[in-house]
Amino acid sequence: MGLSRRDFLKTSVAGATAATVGMPLSKQAEAAVKAGEAGWQWDKGVCRFCGTGCGIMIATKGGRIVATKGDPDAPVNKGLNCVKGYFNGKINYGKDRLTQPLLRMTDGKFDKKGKFVPVSWEQALDIMEEKIRWALKEKGPTGIGIFGSGQYTIHEGYAAVKLMKAGFRSNNLDPNARHCMASAVVGFMQTFGIDEPQGNYDDIEHTDTAVLWGANMAEMHPILWSRITDRRLTHSKMKVVNLSVYGNMSSDIADLEIIFSPSGDLAIQNYIAREIVKRDAIDHDFVKKYTVFATGPYDIGYGFRPKNAEKFHTAAEMEIVKNEQSHVLDKWEAIGQRKKEGEVVEQKNAATPMKDWAISFEDFKTAVEPYTLDYTAAVAKGDPDESMEDFKAKLKQLADLYCEKGRKIVSYWTMGFNQHQRGSWVNEQAYMTHLLTGRQCKPGEGAFSLTGQPSACGTAREVGTFAHRLPADMVVMNPKHRAYAEKIWNLPAGTVNPVMGSHFVKQMRDLEDGTMLFSWTQVNNPWQNTANVNHWIKAARDMNNFIVVADAYPGVSAKVADLILPAAMINEKWGAYGNAERRTQVWRQQILPPGQARADIWMMMELSKRFKIKEVWGAQKIPGSNEGLPDVLPAAQAMGYSPEATLYEVLYATPENKKFKWPDNAVAKGHGNHVCDLLKDGWFPEKALFEEYRKFGSGHGHDLAPFDVYHHDKVRGLRWPVVEKNGKWVETPWRNNEKYDPYVAKGSGFDFYGNNGNSLVMGDLDKMGDPAKKVDISHKAKIYFRPYASPVEKPDANYDLWLCTGRVLEHWHSGTMTRRVPELHRAVPNAVCWINQKDADAKGLKRNDLVWIESRRGKVKVRLETGGRNRMPRGMVYVPWFDEGVLINKVTLDTTCPLSKETDYKKCSVKIYKA
Amino acid sequence: MNLSGILVMAKPESHGQVVAALNALEGVEVHQVDAATGRIVAVQEAEDIHAEIEGVKRIKALPDVIMAEMVYHYLAEDERKYEAMPPELIEQQDGFETCAVPAYLNS
Repeated sequence: MGLSRRDFLKTSVAGATAATVGMPLSKQAEAAVKAGEAGWQWDKGVCRFCGTGCGIMIATKGGRIVATKGDPDAPVNKGLNCVKGYFNGKINYGKDRLTQPLLRMTDGKFDKKGKFVPVSWEQALDIMEEKIRWALKEKGPTGIGIFGSGQYTIHEGYAAVKLMKAGFRSNNLDPNARHCMASAVVGFMQTFGIDEPQGNYDDIEHTDTAVLWGANMAEMHPILWSRITDRRLTHSKMKVVNLSVYGNMSSDIADLEIIFSPSGDLAIQNYIAREIVKRDAIDHDFVKKYTVFATGPYDIGYGFRPKNAEKFHTAAEMEIVKNEQSHVLDKWEAIGQRKKEGEVVEQKNAATPMKDWAISFEDFKTAVEPYTLDYTAAVAKGDPDESMEDFKAKLKQLADLYCEKGRKIVSYWTMGFNQHQRGSWVNEQAYMTHLLTGRQCKPGEGAFSLTGQPSACGTAREVGTFAHRLPADMVVMNPKHRAYAEKIWNLPAGTVNPVMGSHFVKQMRDLEDGTMLFSWTQVNNPWQNTANVNHWIKAARDMNNFIVVADAYPGVSAKVADLILPAAMINEKWGAYGNAERRTQVWRQQILPPGQARADIWMMMELSKRFKIKEVWGAQKIPGSNEGLPDVLPAAQAMGYSPEATLYEVLYATPENKKFKWPDNAVAKGHGNHVCDLLKDGWFPEKALFEEYRKFGSGHGHDLAPFDVYHHDKVRGLRWPVVEKNGKWVETPWRNNEKYDPYVAKGSGFDFYGNNGNSLVMGDLDKMGDPAKKVDISHKAKIYFRPYASPVEKPDANYDLWLCTGRVLEHWHSGTMTRRVPELHRAVPNAVCWINQKDADAKGLKRNDLVWIESRRGKVKVRLETGGRNRMPRGMVYVPWFDEGVLINKVTLDTTCPLSKETDYKKCSVKIYKA
Repeated sequence: MNLSGILVMAKPESHGQVVAALNALEGVEVHQVDAATGRIVAVQEAEDIHAEIEGVKRIKALPDVIMAEMVYHYLAEDERKYEAMPPELIEQQDGFETCAVPAYLNS
């Protein structure tokens, strides 16, 4: 062809790029692409990072990943990648991959104060076995816990649920998704009785309006953002609104940017509802047929320790934490809650925040009445340098959009709503405005909860790796659900513990107060991702407990652990993720894990071989239950189990599961499976566990296709429920809508069947009424009234600034993977503190100054940034949390939404001074 | 040498100017253009990875460019010299196995 090598390479790169985005190739380019990729083996995969769930193609050669590209056949991203996705292939190759177990030792023996020493897997499992036995003996099943993940593969999450809930009979399994999606879950469960969005990403190409509420999509979901950008430029009616507490990249193409104050979103949504009512923009037919109005208590606390907090907190911290017992209403809360300013409200429902009851439409109207434009603007204006008139005009424009008949709207949100002291409420408010106007479950119309992690939906939520959950939206507190799980798992009745376990933050508090003695971290970084982390570092290092951290790289959590287990990463194991539009996607093992790194699923299975059912299925004492857990061994024996049977035999390698044989060439197509190679007993755990897990959801709205269907060459994930129709597995693009959802009866239009069989007691705005008077809410969704509530910690004379934390485009979560990709590290090497120039000037500080950022809880050093991608209003700073050198969670506040137990990382008070 | 394949979206009516602007940038060559949709495939050659990232930012900043994303990356053979690590991670790398809790966690 007469091309130099350089020219040839360029033609090849251009050709590959064009092919990836579906542009036709020139003949010359086509030849160049083929030649450049000689000996490469391509296979489909999924991006490791955010909840968008982009398809990527992975090329391997000689046992290494040599290239990745956006998958042109993937409907989510259509060949595109963001900068993180683009570097997927490099995350496995950081120089400091953990490749052998490391145990703190002195003189050849475990010592909590010792230094890390390499040990064999045998030694690692020995010490885990010993410490679990000790914890079980001292504290019973609740003495052990797992910090799980929204980045677990579906199989890993399922293996963890079984190990803890069926094996050890402990519900202390909770994922980092608690920090990210729990408020969304409560919003869905309370409103619809079934989890996850009804719509899907195709809403973007159908809608007229995208309203972002606390979701900086341009940075956090860039591929979805590129689809919104496309729609904005090709559909003349399209409007984009960005509501945020600071100006960000998503504002760049927005038609309307609204900067609101922390928690001002609660007031703004009620203002929209009030306008919808006042202007009669209600879809009366929809509201009458498919909804019921509801509310709940306001005195629900702030998710701090319920008692004895003073034993663990400093006096400075107690200034805020004391609100858990009683709270003095400020002026704005008093108006929004129809009470008096200065009233002291005992937080009587702190233990029962989920309580709810039905109200009349008249009561709902009364409730939203105080949320006038004047009130809302006064509460919610977030930029002190914006005029009140301008802000009011913007709020009115926003209400105009929601009130415009025939305008399609999708409301999007992520952490701005979820990480919120009233996160469950603010999620429910989003459904309020959409349900009132009949804008839900229709193409281009719906309130859509975007997800943060790649399998927060697929694993954490659907598999149920939460302290209260079982697969397919079932919960451990419900006897029918426990019986269902025990049947599928072939367990004696009464095996599953009926008492909810400790949620993520509570597991940390359990370690701090000594009620938990053994902790195992999988696929996340709790000692970097949990707020107020000084407490938890101390709990891990100073208390008599045993901390195990499985990770691929030595992150903060590994460093505070007693035992580090080297974990296999994505593409080094078989896996499946589920994204925010209910799409379940799979991948094969592409390469081997380095050194002695192993898949988490193998670690759990090897450990399970060391425990016999006679050790764990006898009678057990548990806190919160007088009778404790029953002895189920006689029943187990009657079912044919030997008391000597191991948890491995009973939970994993069951006769049923061992029917799924490895090798399985029809699916594997030459790909290996290091877990099978190590177990050496001829079965295919990932396939067997998936097929078993699938039984939970089949037949009641959570149906998944068989394992092999997802692995088919042509399939790029399927959106559940996936039901078999004429021999084909058919996905469901929009749920609860007769046109698309097989679970909706013909002729009903819409059907919120998640609430079937549920009822509510009728009450008024202040209280529940006569418990005998129940309203059946089958087939209906709830429209909640939730009031404005101020943040529990607000800036004052000493701590004069708001602190908001979050991510940046280039880094994933705690940065353990992305900081090891040189390109990404170079792009954003360190966390900085974004601050308004005027705030910096007033403090005599300038850009790049090294400063201390300090709260009542802790302080870290960070450099100031007054320019760049974020535009802070006066009074607020933003620090991302990816950088372990700027461990911002030492500063943040561990308040949670009392309903969802999800931490609010978006607002606390700090001061800044020169370091 | 680092090569990246970049998808650039321009407003269809101004794709001509954008192509000219791209070709004028050092190290950038336009390889394919779809005038109907405003999609342009450019290949960028950069000295090092830092320059590569900066280069994309520079493209995004061009007038009438709606979007520019790296789509394809040629994994350069001389990447060893770019495998720099964050300084605090390097510190722990030299003797991580014997380090206790790093001092910065206890401050």
